[in-house]
Amino acid sequence: MSVEALGTAQAPAPAGRAGVLRRLMRDKVAAIAAIALTLIVLAAIAAPLIAPYDPYFTDLTKVMQPPNETNWFGTDNTGRDILSRVLYGTRSTLMLGLIGVIVGGLLGGVLGILAAFYPRLDGWIMRLVDIMLAFPAILIGLAVAAIFGAGLTAVVIALVVATVPDVARVARGAAVGVMGQEFIEAGRAVGVSDSTLIWRYLTLNCISTIFVFLTLRFGQIILIGSALGFLGMGAQPPTAELGMMAAQGRDFLFMAPHIATIPSLAIFVIVLAANLLGDALRDVLDPRLQQ
Amino acid sequence: MARQIVHRLLISFPALLGVLFLCFCLLQVVPADPAMIIAGPDAKADTIAAIRLELGLDRPIPIQFLDYILRVLRGDLGRSIISNKMVSEELGLTIGPTVELMLGAMIMAVPVGLALGTLAAVNRGRLTDRLIMAFSVAGVSMPVFFIGLILIQYVGFKWALLPFTGRTGPVWAGGLPSLILPAVTLGAVLIGPISRLTRTAVLEVLGADFVRTARAKGLRETVVIVHHALRNALIPVVTLIGLQAAFLLGGAVVTETMFSWPGVGRLAVGAIVSSDFPTAQGAIMILALAFLLINLLVDVLYVYLDPRVQRT
Repeated sequence: MSVEALGTAQAPAPAGRAGVLRRLMRDKVAAIAAIALTLIVLAAIAAPLIAPYDPYFTDLTKVMQPPNETNWFGTDNTGRDILSRVLYGTRSTLMLGLIGVIVGGLLGGVLGILAAFYPRLDGWIMRLVDIMLAFPAILIGLAVAAIFGAGLTAVVIALVVATVPDVARVARGAAVGVMGQEFIEAGRAVGVSDSTLIWRYLTLNCISTIFVFLTLRFGQIILIGSALGFLGMGAQPPTAELGMMAAQGRDFLFMAPHIATIPSLAIFVIVLAANLLGDALRDVLDPRLQQ
Repeated sequence: MARQIVHRLLISFPALLGVLFLCFCLLQVVPADPAMIIAGPDAKADTIAAIRLELGLDRPIPIQFLDYILRVLRGDLGRSIISNKMVSEELGLTIGPTVELMLGAMIMAVPVGLALGTLAAVNRGRLTDRLIMAFSVAGVSMPVFFIGLILIQYVGFKWALLPFTGRTGPVWAGGLPSLILPAVTLGAVLIGPISRLTRTAVLEVLGADFVRTARAKGLRETVVIVHHALRNALIPVVTLIGLQAAFLLGGAVVTETMFSWPGVGRLAVGAIVSSDFPTAQGAIMILALAFLLINLLVDVLYVYLDPRVQRT
């Protein structure tokens, strides 16, 4: 048997992509969540095309109007169209969540897998992870904002630092399990290089676990990001970001509650869809993560 | 058990150093030279140099860091740039309200979460279970400020049932009404995860032999559920509450800001917004230390609750 064949033949047969999708769609809640999330992402991408108004255009002749025919979500305190701002805000919010999850997931995944592969590094990497875990994400956001000033950078750093340690732990756990299997030893025995072992034998076998975990975290990351935005540590006006929009609307809560409520509701819908989809994906792809 | 605690303390130590280093960095980035601020705008160069020497600003960074740690140990966190009060004094005033808020949230959330989770587990697969689980997913997906906004708007403003800004005083001195809305806001975030995990844990225990024995000997179902199932299901739930500490702290920062609750979180946010670095680093340090402490306590409690942990 060739080395190449060893790497693939021994790996647990992955359910085909179509199979996963079919099983996911059988679950009604998951199907609705998947469709909702797809629509939200599409709307966010197409924001410049579908937004009815310029999200930054202020019209002082129609401030704080409740939802109506011309402005479906109403207008804010400077007469900007809230629907357009929510579309653009969803863009920033999703972007923050994605960057946090992707960068944090990559860093955490690499750390966890290296820790599992090289026992010598294990102690050091896990100590580092412990230290990172000592900082709740909101605190990191506050600290970074205090050092570099509030802005999207502060939020991105906070979200990445919040993602890395948990992913590293999950990745290490999964990788340690794979390391115990015979095909790793077989690979070593036939002289496969470390880099091939790490990538083809180890990483490819851990990736679905890491991926499922990241989908489960995505909603939480968005919540943290929007909380930082709400606190004024994130996007600065006039940029549209959902958390910050909710904070701005807070000042007019009693006169025009829709200004704060609509962006908050948008965050809720995004996170709910992400959480429901993550739960369903976990059940399909990796039931072991369930506890 | 003692070994476990010592081990845990040793792990906390690097984290503690990390926290201190981050806070030290916060003070290093003060945009203006502190010596110049103290000396005033008309000071001569040698006066500034003298003040720098006096403050130890000319020494290498590691020495300054060591010096900083020693000062922190003495409780000296510097003076607020804005109010000119000692930072430790300001922190002293805000810690109480934050602890009160977090305890209030837990007292609200833990029993509700346990009850809902147990109810869902007992009615597994039925409508009650589904409703409770839907409710808990919704709760987990909701931004803290959304819950707060709704409560302020309806309970606080429209129906005028409870106060929603500031804190009128400690709970024992008539401050309870002002605590309710912030505590409910913060606690609402916790109910979801607690009820979810309680459900899983109770389901697991309900299948155990000792529960079957309890049923077989004819105990009433309530006794079986509460005394046999729930008590054993508590172990993972305690860990979860510890894991939620990060959530709770982050949520407290948001809640305090929303309700003008005079706690550490609001102090930190206010200080950052007004570039009051000494206050910001003090507040962030206290919050990070609180987090370390909560985790330590949970670990100890865990070992105490589940003696099996010691052997792992």
